[in-house]
Amino acid sequence: MFVDTVIEDKALHKPVFLIGLSVTVLAIFFAFNFTNTIFGEFLSPVIGNPEESGFFGRLAVSFVLTILFVGNLLLISFARLKIQILIVWLELFILFLAFAYSFDLEIAYIFSGQPSKIGLMISKGLFTTIYISAVSIAIATAIAIVGAIAKLSNNGFAYAIASFYTSLFRGLPLLLQIYLIYMGLPQLGFMIDAIPSGIAALSLCYGAYMTEIFRAGIQSIPKGQWEASRALGFPFGLILRKIILPQSVPIIIPPTGNQFIAMLKDSSLVSVLGIWEIMFLAKKLGAKDFNHLEMLLTAAMIYWVLTIILEMIQARIEKKYQQKT
Amino acid sequence: MSIKLGLKKSSIAFTALLLSIGMTAQAGVVYDYIKNNNELMIATDANWAPFSYINDAGEMEGFDVDVGREIAKRMGVEARFITPDWGVITAGNWNMRWDVSVGSMTPTAGRSEVLNFPAVYYYTPASFAVHTDSPVTTLAGLNGKNICTTASSTWEMYLEGNLDMLNAPAFTYKVTPGTITALADGHTCLDDTRLGAGVRNDGIIDSVPMIQGAIEDGYPIKFLGDPAFYEPLSIATDKGNNDPELDAEIARIIAEMQKDYTLTTLSMKWFKNADGSSNDYTVAY
Repeated sequence: MFVDTVIEDKALHKPVFLIGLSVTVLAIFFAFNFTNTIFGEFLSPVIGNPEESGFFGRLAVSFVLTILFVGNLLLISFARLKIQILIVWLELFILFLAFAYSFDLEIAYIFSGQPSKIGLMISKGLFTTIYISAVSIAIATAIAIVGAIAKLSNNGFAYAIASFYTSLFRGLPLLLQIYLIYMGLPQLGFMIDAIPSGIAALSLCYGAYMTEIFRAGIQSIPKGQWEASRALGFPFGLILRKIILPQSVPIIIPPTGNQFIAMLKDSSLVSVLGIWEIMFLAKKLGAKDFNHLEMLLTAAMIYWVLTIILEMIQARIEKKYQQKT
Repeated sequence: MSIKLGLKKSSIAFTALLLSIGMTAQAGVVYDYIKNNNELMIATDANWAPFSYINDAGEMEGFDVDVGREIAKRMGVEARFITPDWGVITAGNWNMRWDVSVGSMTPTAGRSEVLNFPAVYYYTPASFAVHTDSPVTTLAGLNGKNICTTASSTWEMYLEGNLDMLNAPAFTYKVTPGTITALADGHTCLDDTRLGAGVRNDGIIDSVPMIQGAIEDGYPIKFLGDPAFYEPLSIATDKGNNDPELDAEIARIIAEMQKDYTLTTLSMKWFKNADGSSNDYTVAY
């Protein structure tokens, strides 16, 4: 991002802002009333029994929470940027954990059994999820390149087929496409099993989205590049391969990375076909002993970790292509 | 490997399609395939303990799974389980992706349009249940209330008053709910009930062993009244690839398993009461 050279005082260090913030936060904490929570118990030496403390207790609890919150912000504001980011991430993560913990769940269930439930999900489900996503991504990319070129061509048939394809597959819910391919194709005599059906649906759907991304990326290259290459006598294929595509790749990469991440998570939809991937195992393993939320949270964590890894890879690739241009 | 298998099956399905132009029933096509392939592909939803579920070792287990294994054994072939969504199984048109459903399916008039029901192998009672703090004490108390159950299940049909079971023991509609909350996953109903009486629903209807399992797992729910009805549960085969020979073979094996008490033994093994006694659900009440 653009680095501003005009440095202003931090808003948090201005008294008016600080007081305004504190009052607002106090009002919010007061409105939500945290008296009967763990915070009220911490303050019980001062306010007595939290349940009988009334208005004073509520105000006291809100006041202490406000001081903690604003003080925390102030302290962080003095740290360096990288430290700030790290602390805020950590605090938000702890809040998330506390939120999940407050569901009153049997967290031990996730690690129970031999092998443990989470071990089962990773050993049986993780590979399937990654395998389905990776194959679908590869096929979707191939479809997208062909589709984008077809959409940009002057050939009426190619354009019509490609635009019909993108319109249809962007226009139907992915879940519906999965059912259509799994149950519809056999009616035509093409018997495909659950995993190939899932891969077909994911590739076709994401191929359609990526076709549009690739098309926009190719179109964003100035017309002059085409004209200059033509003037130099290059044939069409060579221009596309050596001049246009290398320049559009840095434009295509960020939205494509987003599609990869989205597909990893959408692969959970193929669980309806009975494929033993992460989402399927989470639902079924939780059903046995009625610990649904525990297993769903486990699946959530696995997906999140996978996504973070993909985000890191995406950041590296983006950086590499930015240096080149 | 699965693709190869799929192609092989597709050619058979295609042959069956060609042959079926001439005649409606294709004697033996599916059964011959099972024998030649030495494998019985059994579809069962893995969502229902103690009927069929994934155990701690990550393998299929339960009453239906045991029955499926026994059928395959008596056919002289290996059993293989696949776990599609319930809706995909009941939709029919399996195209030989799997050969039979051993998944506690109740034969209804609607389902019999796409599926065959060669043999009923046991009966389970369905019962209403409410939160332990619920003010409702009789089945009549649930009239006009919000009842939760699994979507497109026999329990939902019962609540709607249009349960068209085939060969079922006689029953009466004892409850006329005000609202029916039908969820894709019936387990969610139990979680909703746990939130309190009347929060998201006033009561649920489900199979007795299932509710029993939830109570043993500490859910604050209790049975309400006697079982509402007993539903026959059957093996199902695909009408799209109609194979009278396979149906006859399944009917024969189930009759044999009833005769030598194999089914009774399995029922006693899987369906326990709170006091540790067992239930024989293989006879209709």
